[in-house]
Amino acid sequence: MTATKHRIILDVDSAGDDILAILFALGSDFIQLEGVTAVTGAAGPIEQVTNVVLNTATLAGRDDLPVAAGAWRPIVGNSKEDMEAPVHFEKQLKDRFGERLKKFNPPAPTPIRKAMDKHAVDFIIETVRANPGEISIVATGPQTNVAMALDMAPDIAQLVKQIVVLGGCFTTPGNITPVSEYNIWADPEAARVVLRSGAPVVLVPLDICEDNRVAPSMLTRDDLADLAADHPDSKVVRHICENFPIYIDIWREFFQLVGFPLDDAIAVAAVTHPEFFEMTEPLFVDVALHERLVRGQTVAFTGRQILSFDGPETTRICKGLDGRSFLKLFKSSIGTLA
Amino acid sequence: MKPIKVIIDCDPGHDDAIALLMAHRLPEIELVAVTTVCGNAPLARTTINARRIMELLGASDVPIAAGCASPLARPLVLGTADGPSGLDGSPYLPEPTVEAVPVHGVDFLAAKLREAEEPIVLVPTGPLTNIGMLVLKYPELLSKIEKVVLMGGAFYRRSEIITPTEFNIFCDPEAAEIVLASGLDITMVGLDVTMHVLVEEDEFAAIEKIDTPLSRVVFDWLKFYEKLHRGQMGIGGALHDPLALAVVVDPTLIETREAHVSIDRTGTHTFGATVADYFKLNGLEPNVKLASQVNSAKFFEMLYRSLED
Repeated sequence: MTATKHRIILDVDSAGDDILAILFALGSDFIQLEGVTAVTGAAGPIEQVTNVVLNTATLAGRDDLPVAAGAWRPIVGNSKEDMEAPVHFEKQLKDRFGERLKKFNPPAPTPIRKAMDKHAVDFIIETVRANPGEISIVATGPQTNVAMALDMAPDIAQLVKQIVVLGGCFTTPGNITPVSEYNIWADPEAARVVLRSGAPVVLVPLDICEDNRVAPSMLTRDDLADLAADHPDSKVVRHICENFPIYIDIWREFFQLVGFPLDDAIAVAAVTHPEFFEMTEPLFVDVALHERLVRGQTVAFTGRQILSFDGPETTRICKGLDGRSFLKLFKSSIGTLA
Repeated sequence: MKPIKVIIDCDPGHDDAIALLMAHRLPEIELVAVTTVCGNAPLARTTINARRIMELLGASDVPIAAGCASPLARPLVLGTADGPSGLDGSPYLPEPTVEAVPVHGVDFLAAKLREAEEPIVLVPTGPLTNIGMLVLKYPELLSKIEKVVLMGGAFYRRSEIITPTEFNIFCDPEAAEIVLASGLDITMVGLDVTMHVLVEEDEFAAIEKIDTPLSRVVFDWLKFYEKLHRGQMGIGGALHDPLALAVVVDPTLIETREAHVSIDRTGTHTFGATVADYFKLNGLEPNVKLASQVNSAKFFEMLYRSLED
C-alpha cells in the first residue's frame, strides 16, 4: 500500500485498450479510481461505450465503481462518411480474420446494473469542485465530455490537478489521416477547448504508444502467456487472454507493430509514474480545425518559430517512455485483480 | 385560450429587453423561465441586465438562470449594438431584489423541460450556446420542445443593409450548427425580416403617445439604441429579438420558406454566414423555416399593446 493514492477520473470511449486501462487503474496500488465516464468515440454509440464500462467493472468485481454516461455526439465532428470509416476498416479485417473478429469490439451484453443517474459532465464538474487540486482527469477518447465540463464550469480548469489527454501525434504518422490521431480528429473543437482552458495538460501522443520505438510497452502473446501462468485463477486475466489475442494480431498485421499498443493504460501511468516518461516543458499546443486534409492535427509551439500564436503554455507533451517499466507495472497491476 | 409556455434564452441587450417585456406583458404568453448567455455583453452583465429588466416589469417571480459564459468552442467576441454594459442608456432600471437561480442555465432549462406537462416554445435571442449545450447534454428532453423560434441568421434579402453575417450565429457557429442539426422545429427570424422592423420617427411618436411608465422607459432605451444603429448603418433601430417573440404570439407576422441552412466556419470574409439551400442542391432535407417577409405594422401594434396599462 502506498502512502497517497492518485485520485483519477477515467473518461473512455471503450475501445479495447480503454478496457485494459480501466482494469489497470482498478488493479493499481497507486490509484483511487473516483469513477469512469463514457464518451462517444471509436467503439460506437454512447450506450455501447457505457455498457462496456459497466461490464468491465463487473468483471473486476467492482459494481460499486461510479460509471456515468456522457456525450452522445461530438461538438462538431466530421462528415458521416468519414466518421463511419473505421467501420469499413473493420470489414477489411473481417476478410483476413473471419470468425475470430467476433472478439474485436463485440456488442456489449446487457450489463447487470445501470450507469448512475447523472451525466458524465456533471460527475466530472462535481467531483473536481468537491476536491480542489486533487483530481486528475485521464481522457482516453475524444475530449467531448471534458470540453463540455469546461464550457459549463470554466472554474474547474483551476481546480483540476491535471488533465491527461491521450491523443495527437508529432513524430509518428497519424492513424486517421497522415497528420491526425483519431481522438483529436473525432472532436477537434473539444480538444482545443481543453488545450486552451488553462488547466495543466499532459499530452500522450501516438509517438510514445503506437510506434515500434516503444515496442517494449506493447502487449504480446508472450505477455498473455506470462499473465496466465502467474495468475491461473484470475477471472480478469482469463478474460484478457481469451479476448485480446485478436487485438495483438490486428495491430501486428495491419499496423506492423510488435504487439497491441496500450495507449490508454499508458495515459493512466502518466499520472502515477511520470518518471517513466520524458516530457517537454509546458508548451502551447493547438489543433488544426479546417480543411479535411489536416483537420485534427496537433501543432506544438516549441519556441523556435518566428510567428507567435496566442494560447496558454500549459501542455507538456510526452516524448519518450520507458516501455519496459510501464509494461511490468501494467502486468503486476492486472495481476492483483481476482 | 391557454397561454403559450415560453422560455427565453437571451443576452440583454436592448432588444432582448423588449422581447422580455412583451413576453411578460402579452396575455398570449406565459413566460416560464429566462436563461442568460454571453453575447451582447459578458454573462455577468447579461444576467444582471435580465434581473433588472424583470424587476422593472414586476416579474421577479419568473426564475432567471445564468448559462454559458463563453461560446462552446471559441473565445467570446462581444456584440457592439448595445454599448459596453449591454444595456447602456437605461437610467430607470431598478436594482434587482431576487437572485438568479443557483443552477447552471442549461441544467435549469433541462429541469424546466423535464417537469413541463405541456410542450415549451424556446425563444433564443442571443448566441445559441446554451441551446447547443442542451442538445449535447440532454438529447432525451428535446421532445419536450414544441418549437424553437430564434433570432439569428442573414440571407441577403436586403443585401444593401445586411453584412454577410449575423452576430448571434457568428458568435457561436458551432452551437448554431448543433441546434440546426438537432431535428427540432426551428424558425429562423433573421436580419432579412428584423431589418424591416425599424423604430423611426413615426414609431417614436406612437410610443411617446402611450405615455405609461413602461412606455417612457422603452422610449429611452430605443432612443439610445436607434442612435447607435443610425450611426452604424444610417437606419432606425431594428427590433430583432422582439420580432422573434412576437412571431410566437402571431405566426402570421412573417412568411417563411423552408430550406436547409448550414453555417460557414472557414470563410475568410464570410465566417459565421448562414447559407440557405432552397432547392435541395446539396441533397439535404430542409432543417429550418426561414422568415422571408414581415408585416412590420402588425408587429408594432403588438408592441404598443404590450406597453399600455
